[in-house]
Amino acid sequence: MADWQIDLIKVVFIWVWALLIAVVMTWVERRASAMMQDRLGPNRAGPFGLFQPLADGIKLFTKEDIIPEKARKILFVLGPPLFALPAFSAYAVVPFGDKIVLGGKEIILQVSDVNIGFLYVLALGAIGVYGMVIGGWASNSKYSILGGLRATAQLISYEVPMGLALLTIVLLYGTFSLREMVLLQQGTFLGFLPNWGIFKQPLGFIIFLVAAYAEANRVPFDLPECESELVTGYHTEYGSMRLGLYLFGEYVNLGTLAAITVSLFFGGWALPYVDMSKFLGPVAYGIASFTVFFLKQAFFLFLFVWVRWTVPRFRYDQLMGLGWKALIPLGLVNLFVTALLVQLTI
Amino acid sequence: MPRRPVVKKEYTLGERVYLVEITKGLGLTWKHFVFNIKASFRKGPHTVPTCWQYPEDRREIAPIFRGAHMLMLNEKGQELCVGCGMCAKACPAKCITVKRGKRQEGEEDKYAGKTYCSTFEIDMLRCIFCGNCESACPKGALVLGPGYELAEYDMESCIYNKERLLANYNEAKAEGKLKPPQKPVPVDAPPAPKKKPAAKKGAGASAQKAKAPPKAEGKKGEDDAAKGKTEEKPAE
Repeated sequence: MADWQIDLIKVVFIWVWALLIAVVMTWVERRASAMMQDRLGPNRAGPFGLFQPLADGIKLFTKEDIIPEKARKILFVLGPPLFALPAFSAYAVVPFGDKIVLGGKEIILQVSDVNIGFLYVLALGAIGVYGMVIGGWASNSKYSILGGLRATAQLISYEVPMGLALLTIVLLYGTFSLREMVLLQQGTFLGFLPNWGIFKQPLGFIIFLVAAYAEANRVPFDLPECESELVTGYHTEYGSMRLGLYLFGEYVNLGTLAAITVSLFFGGWALPYVDMSKFLGPVAYGIASFTVFFLKQAFFLFLFVWVRWTVPRFRYDQLMGLGWKALIPLGLVNLFVTALLVQLTI
Repeated sequence: MPRRPVVKKEYTLGERVYLVEITKGLGLTWKHFVFNIKASFRKGPHTVPTCWQYPEDRREIAPIFRGAHMLMLNEKGQELCVGCGMCAKACPAKCITVKRGKRQEGEEDKYAGKTYCSTFEIDMLRCIFCGNCESACPKGALVLGPGYELAEYDMESCIYNKERLLANYNEAKAEGKLKPPQKPVPVDAPPAPKKKPAAKKGAGASAQKAKAPPKAEGKKGEDDAAKGKTEEKPAE
């Protein structure tokens, strides 16, 4: 097999995998929320209601595609893909496994090991907001435009602390490549803890997690959507599969953020204390590393759902206050302390 | 009522950081989550305590539930209804129409009384399920049964005719959901406290002759005592 064929297979695999996670997440969110609120949730379509996302997909495809009369047509159509595509593209640099040997060839389980993979993820996260803002503005509706405006305001108040939290990680590992960061997290830290980013950067992790919820537009920071105030915010005027693309992009975004969290702070595909490559065959090791990565990712995906049904939405000014008055100073202090420690130990 | 002054609660540092509080909240939702997940793996109907999966699980109804009406038959299979129309008079929603027919020769095994209802219609769209018809019926022929799935596709079928009401009875009998036989309510009920001591005396007279007469005499007039004596006679 030529290299480009391998790359193509990897791209298709990760694309399908991201879609699958997003589809199952819609089901998980509805069933888990039901269980947390003493309800049952959708359980009619298929076993445990697992085919509900399929039914929803069929419904969204067969509905009428309405473009409001006074909407900016081109921008209106452009909005959803602009939101969903960056979410998908961010998966390209996620190291979802170590390596697998197939047909005598060693294949790295990552679509491309870009040396600035980390900046790439941050950049795409910021581009996704354009989808919301453009969609909200093009709809020519007051709720949509308010949702879009909130998205921008939210962006500038959480992207900065997120960047500061991630800078400390870069300082710590001295690299921008996500794969190298995961490799640097093998072994143990202080003799008994796994050598994970969370134990070296607990404050950075908290800041990153809070910012990640804002980045994914999830409760408690779902201000651009905000059902109780803005109908559904920036996608109020959307229907059929365009709306589906927005919702889908949101769940793909969750998957990406969970994956990034795992690879930055939780040792990626490696099990703590155990080196799987020593006693597993090359093929089995590849599959096992992917499974471990997926399980860690699944936990953070569930955490997104779990927090959503626990914490109420922040008020607009509370989010701004949290971003500017709490997270940014904390991030700066964290950065300073980390820089000092790194400087002293090297 | 004097208004209480609003005291703004000062938050402690731990509460203001909010992360600890969120963790507590997560614990609460997790408790519910685990409880419901465990419940949903139980076997049998009505697994999740707060929900009834309707077409599969049906709620247990009380024996005196007031659902769809049914026209009762006695143990010989005769219709009890005599077509008197008391139910139609008692109905506050005026949804019952009864027409009386005379029993002909050779129909004795079909109808219990000398007359019967030739038509009996209940408009279920107007019925309010108050149960007045049931209590008005002198023969115990009209009873509100256990059926509660009353949706129909057109308005005509919401008017229950006689066949439907008899079918309701047969259905309830087949499912064993008929009401347990109730104690007959005394029809002529003068104020209860007046009759009670007399009845007591009548019942207890044979056993405790020494005690009962002075009690009755002391409390009530001679009239009551006489009543007690008249009741005593049939007992003896």
